[in-house]
Amino acid sequence: MGLSRHPSLADTQTLPARATAERQVVSYDPKSQEGWVTTRLDFLVNWGRANSLWPMPFGTACCAIEFMATAASHYDLARFGMERMSFSPRQADVLICAGRVPFKLAPIIRRIWQQMPQPKWCISMGACASSGGMFDNYAVVQGIDTIIPVDVYVPGCPPRPEGLLYGIRMLQEKVKNERGADKRVRDEMEPDPNSKLYIPPDMIDELSEPFGNSVHQTRSAP
Amino acid sequence: MTAPFAVVTPGSALPGATAPATPKNLPHTGGEPNPSAEALRARFGGAVERVDVVWGETTVYVQGNRVLEIVRWLHDDPTQQYDYLSDVTAVEQRDLDQPLEVVWHLRSLPFRRFLRLKVRIPKGGRLEVDSVWPVYKGADWLEREAYDMFGINLRGHPDLRRILMWESFKEGYPLRKDFPLRGRFSRSEQLRQALDQDPEARYSMEELSVADAFADLPPDMRERLATGEKTGE
Repeated sequence: MGLSRHPSLADTQTLPARATAERQVVSYDPKSQEGWVTTRLDFLVNWGRANSLWPMPFGTACCAIEFMATAASHYDLARFGMERMSFSPRQADVLICAGRVPFKLAPIIRRIWQQMPQPKWCISMGACASSGGMFDNYAVVQGIDTIIPVDVYVPGCPPRPEGLLYGIRMLQEKVKNERGADKRVRDEMEPDPNSKLYIPPDMIDELSEPFGNSVHQTRSAP
Repeated sequence: MTAPFAVVTPGSALPGATAPATPKNLPHTGGEPNPSAEALRARFGGAVERVDVVWGETTVYVQGNRVLEIVRWLHDDPTQQYDYLSDVTAVEQRDLDQPLEVVWHLRSLPFRRFLRLKVRIPKGGRLEVDSVWPVYKGADWLEREAYDMFGINLRGHPDLRRILMWESFKEGYPLRKDFPLRGRFSRSEQLRQALDQDPEARYSMEELSVADAFADLPPDMRERLATGEKTGE
């Protein structure tokens, strides 16, 4: 009986003594009617969210094969609460984009993202989804972050299942550390063209010439 | 309902048909031509411009304005029976002065023959050639791809529009040699135009009728489509 605080919330770097004290086991007799536990509401909500992320698989290429391997019995995505693949975006929490996205799919993936209810997250799996990868050509989107916000990028071509699991654990950490009071986390911000900081896309193209960057690359032709 | 297709036994028209054997020790050029090439010469004479044999595969260059006639004969004639159209595509040579080639890959299952037809279209004018869709219904999407990638206008195609790139793609024909690898527009402009596509663009009623699928749909779906409802929702 007594006040229990989850050990992961204790800041062990700055308060080692206090953390050590809080790591003590609290004995609790299940038969007694006196036990009670208190915690922060958003800790509890985040704990639930992080451990029941329903993925929306958006598999377009070989990364989707690795994703299937991750979901199958050997790597067993179900261990992390991702038991249920959601093939409808309306019942999904995390969009896993596995593979290259051609421009023809750009409005589709944007629509799928818009159809997903809040809270929602996105994992960009593999080099192609993250940056266009080797497909630096006329047909392929140079990174899905030019269309939708991305929480975790998993590098690799394709990433091994361990890599994807690591990315999923990172996303779970992110979910667990969200604060409900932080409105910026869930608000979708459109770029404001009237802001002084706003740079129009064609200006970005012009500025990045001739060096290019990961998103706006230099022209290869006259 | 009549049988939708006839069963074709490969090699059934060959005397003493045996299992097909992979030819060995083929010369690079000058091998034995496909007998259909000689038959084409005898039947169409001047329409056959050249016959090449490379690694045992015969290529017949024909005149552009006769191609539909030739393909129809190859398909219908009992001594040819080219019943399968493998591919319709095009080739642009690295030498930009060379004419563009449109290629048809035909296969005769009963005779176990393979024939490649080519038509050379000079550049500078409208790239146009007859569609073989009246003979092979399967040419529909293949020819749309040739149109999409190379800009070849196939006369008589029922529904000639882009198939791989989206319909509002404005940058040209991607597999042409003068097309830059990264496209003509900047990345942001490409993305803007791509996001302007209509994700609701789906198979039209015309498309379904062309594919002869409309009549095979369940009655309730036919009714809903006839009232203008979109498919796929």
